Amino acid sequence: MSTSTAAYTDKARKVYGRGDTEVVALDDVSIAFDAGQFTAIMGPSGSGKSTLMHCIAGLDELTSGRAFIGDVDLSTLDDKALTLIRREKIGFIFQAFNLVPTLTALENITLPLALAGADPDQQWLDTVVGTVGLADRLRHRPSELSGGQQQRVAVARALASRPEIVFADEPTGNLDSRAGTEILAFMQKAVVELEQTIVMVTHDPVSASYASRVIFLNDGRVVSELTDPTPESVLDRMKQFGE
Amino acid sequence: MLRTTIRNLMARKIRLVTTGIAVLLGVAFMSGSLTLTATITHTFDNLFVDVFAGTDAYVRGQEAFDASGPGNFGAVTRPRVDASLVSTVAAVPGVKAAEGNLTGYAQIVGKNGKAVGKPGNGPPTFGGNWPKVAAFNAYHLVAGHAPEADDQIVIDAGSADKGDYAAGDTATVLTKAGPIQAQVVGVAKFGEVDSALGSTFVFFTDRAAQRYLATPGKYDGISVVAEHGMSESAVAERIRAALPTGTEVVTGARMTKENQDDVAQALSFFGTFMNIFSIIALFVGSFIIYNTFSILVAQRSREMALLRAIGASRRQVTNSVLLEAFVVGTLAAVLGLGAGIGVAAGLKALLDVIGFDIPATGMVLTGNTVIVSLVVGIVISLVAAWFPARRAAKVAPIAAMRDVAVERADRSRLRIGLGGLVTALGVLALLGGLFGDVSNPLRLVGLGALLTMVGVAALGVLFARPATRLLGAPLERLRGVTGHLARENAMRNPRRTSTTASALMIGVALVGFITIFASSAKASLNKTFDDQFTGDFVVDSGTFGFGGLSPELATRLRDTPQVAAVSSHRITSVELDGAVTQLNGFDPVGLERIADIGIVQGKAADLDATGLAVQEKKAKDKHWTIGSKVPVTFAETGTRELTVRAIYRDHSVAGQPGLNEFVGLAVFERNVPDAFDSQVYATLAPGVSVTQGRAAIEAVTANYPNAKVQDREQYKKAQTAQINPLLALIYVLLLLAVIIALLGIANTLGLSIVERTRELGLLRAVGMTRRQMRSMIRWESVLIALFGTLGGLGVGLFFGWALVHALADQGFNVFRIPVVSLAVISILAALVGVVAAAVPARRAARLDVLRAIATE
Ligand SMILES: Nc1ncnc2c1ncn2[C@@H]1O[C@H](COP(=O)(O)OP(=O)(O)OP(=O)(O)O)[C@@H](O)[C@H]1O
Ligand SMILES: [Mg+2]
Repeated sequence: MSTSTAAYTDKARKVYGRGDTEVVALDDVSIAFDAGQFTAIMGPSGSGKSTLMHCIAGLDELTSGRAFIGDVDLSTLDDKALTLIRREKIGFIFQAFNLVPTLTALENITLPLALAGADPDQQWLDTVVGTVGLADRLRHRPSELSGGQQQRVAVARALASRPEIVFADEPTGNLDSRAGTEILAFMQKAVVELEQTIVMVTHDPVSASYASRVIFLNDGRVVSELTDPTPESVLDRMKQFGE
Repeated sequence: MLRTTIRNLMARKIRLVTTGIAVLLGVAFMSGSLTLTATITHTFDNLFVDVFAGTDAYVRGQEAFDASGPGNFGAVTRPRVDASLVSTVAAVPGVKAAEGNLTGYAQIVGKNGKAVGKPGNGPPTFGGNWPKVAAFNAYHLVAGHAPEADDQIVIDAGSADKGDYAAGDTATVLTKAGPIQAQVVGVAKFGEVDSALGSTFVFFTDRAAQRYLATPGKYDGISVVAEHGMSESAVAERIRAALPTGTEVVTGARMTKENQDDVAQALSFFGTFMNIFSIIALFVGSFIIYNTFSILVAQRSREMALLRAIGASRRQVTNSVLLEAFVVGTLAAVLGLGAGIGVAAGLKALLDVIGFDIPATGMVLTGNTVIVSLVVGIVISLVAAWFPARRAAKVAPIAAMRDVAVERADRSRLRIGLGGLVTALGVLALLGGLFGDVSNPLRLVGLGALLTMVGVAALGVLFARPATRLLGAPLERLRGVTGHLARENAMRNPRRTSTTASALMIGVALVGFITIFASSAKASLNKTFDDQFTGDFVVDSGTFGFGGLSPELATRLRDTPQVAAVSSHRITSVELDGAVTQLNGFDPVGLERIADIGIVQGKAADLDATGLAVQEKKAKDKHWTIGSKVPVTFAETGTRELTVRAIYRDHSVAGQPGLNEFVGLAVFERNVPDAFDSQVYATLAPGVSVTQGRAAIEAVTANYPNAKVQDREQYKKAQTAQINPLLALIYVLLLLAVIIALLGIANTLGLSIVERTRELGLLRAVGMTRRQMRSMIRWESVLIALFGTLGGLGVGLFFGWALVHALADQGFNVFRIPVVSLAVISILAALVGVVAAAVPARRAARLDVLRAIATE
């Protein structure tokens, strides 16, 4: 397992609004995500988890400070370059509505590659599809899949281009616990067996325990950190910050 | 509910603006063409008031036949009166002054050798006698003096300007008697202006006018001024008692009115023509309204359901949608009415450019125009929104609790059933009108065409998916996943795709139809010409009835040794067996050596001063055979019995279409005193080359600047090119429908983008570049446009086929599908798709990714 850094921020600051309505969503956050790690981000609602993720993923711009994917400073890139970074180096899993309804599961999975005009690495694709257990569902449209299956397709899509880092914002938030557990297991497997890097936002201590490291945010600041978490240790730490 | 409506209107400004523009354009065009027609009418009304201002009564020959009715404008229907009648009228007590009046064709040749004016498709070029009684003269001298000798002329200031003449110059004037030399002794203005509505005027002495323009000893009529204190009707009454049979007297007021009415009649055709395009534009616009409101209702179905859940009745929901449509329709109609004045000016400029010189001064907005435009704009909006409004009311209150309610992409049986029925009815009406024997075929054909298009539009839902699938197939290979997505998007809601495409379908159907029809018409003309014309040259005047070539020219050609045979062609209006028609005359002996028109019975050589040749089918329909007597009424000589002497096959002679009967020139010599030749056909003597022949003919025509010498190919080209200005006009007018269709596509895409915000955000998040996003939207648009085009070409092909076959009787013997033109239309339609996508694609590309992802 390599120990290089997949992404990091340097004094990342994000301020919404101005004057009376000013909200500091990120308050000089400096944090690094090692390659090959499964990191969970936790924190109360409004603590800046999504904001942090969007800024590192090149979906949003920082007010000040810098965010890096590998060693590329995102603040130096224009929309086109950011888009290319997203499709080549980053994978996404959102809470819901992850899939393009007009495309089949397989087409959704290979979408970033297709957008890049690249041929999928068939062996890798088979591995990913095998890992998330979708082989028999590939020709179906999203509307013909269950919510859990849809999220599995999303995981496969995020991994398909073998990105440097995958961001998942509450990927199990809309699923029942069994389906959620499955997804988390796949993500863990992807990190452990396929050497992928995943950063996941979650509210659930059990979900967080699948990660190897948990970062706690509050009011836009990193307030704590745990390695090799268990549901209990996470819960303890959460209580400390009054969530 | 009112407040909700207003809020909705505000929230969907952009959509409603584009929807409104669709209505606005239609209304603007309608009010514009109404305004232009009213303005032209008004202009002429004033002209005739001026012309007859000093005339209290007018004596003229009695009408030989009644040619009032569209298409017969300018037909001469009265004999001239004897010059001796002037003194009889002048002697009637109460008549202060009486003077003979004469108008005919004369065309002045400019100093540069070119004839001034184009009587064939512009304002007329008149010649006349200079009225000595000031009250009768609408012109007044601004330089020089009145003509005093037969070689002296006065010309209008416009002609003096264009021909570069001043008093004292010598000028050539083209007349019936050939080109003459005359001295310009004066220049006159029409009131304040150089010339009356662009027409030109050459004034002669009475004697010269009779000689060059008409017949010695005759006048068109006699203008009368009454003694002071004598009313128009009183003086007319007294004159009437003194008139010989065959003549009549009318008051000056009546004269003004008749002339105004004639012009109004002639313009009614123009008005109808323009109205057809207004109806097309509004029809297409109604599809846009229907579609926009359908989508809006679908997108708001949750909100509607909520309203229903909290107690709004169905009627209230329906009314809220209709109220929105009413507000949009009213605003659009009012703005459209205003824009119509600009459109009227634009139309006039357009007509000028295309070559129809139309007189119109100061735009006249009538109350009628205002009312018609407003009512039509509002009613169209309400009718088109009616179905979506009904659908809105059907949203069950429970839908409020359900998740996203997208527009049902159903292919409801009702829609398909009704679509099939309407299509069938439309086709039946169309074919019935074209091939059947009905009293008002045009109206039936129009209704049939309209129904067919509505029906096909409704049925489009069946074809939208397979067609876009097929059309989009190459796209995947060409454009990869962007193309794939574009295709899928075009396929995902067949109803929306087909309704959106319908607007363009209608535009393309009409363009395609006109293109096919025109190309068939040209091909038919060419084929007939090739098959039958054995001559070598045509000398063309470019006129049809008014003015033309002096018969002297044909005589001179006959005397040219290089020319073996000559036949000239003349036209006059007559009443033939009860119907007013254009009668053609040819030199029968020459004709046989110039064209083989397929004489099946009788002989052309038998066409003497009472002979008539009839087309085979017409003869059959009328049960005429060789020897049958047919009554023909001429303006000058009254009713004559002509005898059928020949029956022939072709519907046209030497490129002159619609030839159902003709006579020999002897008939013209006897019955039509001031005849001109429209064309003169010539065959060269054996051994004379085309170059030598041309040189010999041009040596003759050099003196006749209005004569154009054309060999076979040139003439063919010129004949078919005659349709081009009209064709160009129709294309430009249909462009309006295409622009409205374009707005419709843009509108739908805009609404779809709003609907797909999340999906688009997702695509951007996972790596779709802005360029790819634009390309995706653009290709979706192109697919919709191509689908509409395909349907349009199908419908247009059917219309064209039906009309060409229905007109087989009129000489349409070739049905030609202009493949290249149709391909060009398809490419242009694809471009329409690209243009329509421009704004939506930009908006989609600019979409804030985060906002899109966060959108509920
Ligand atoms: N577009 C925006 N405009 C203004 N304020 C915003 C915007 N987006 C986020 N915020 C604010 O920034 C802060 C951080 O928001 P963020 O979405 O990152 O929280 P979060 O930790 O993801 O919360 P949750 O657990 O509810 O998803 C919040 O106070 C939020 O109100
Ligand atoms: Mg969040």
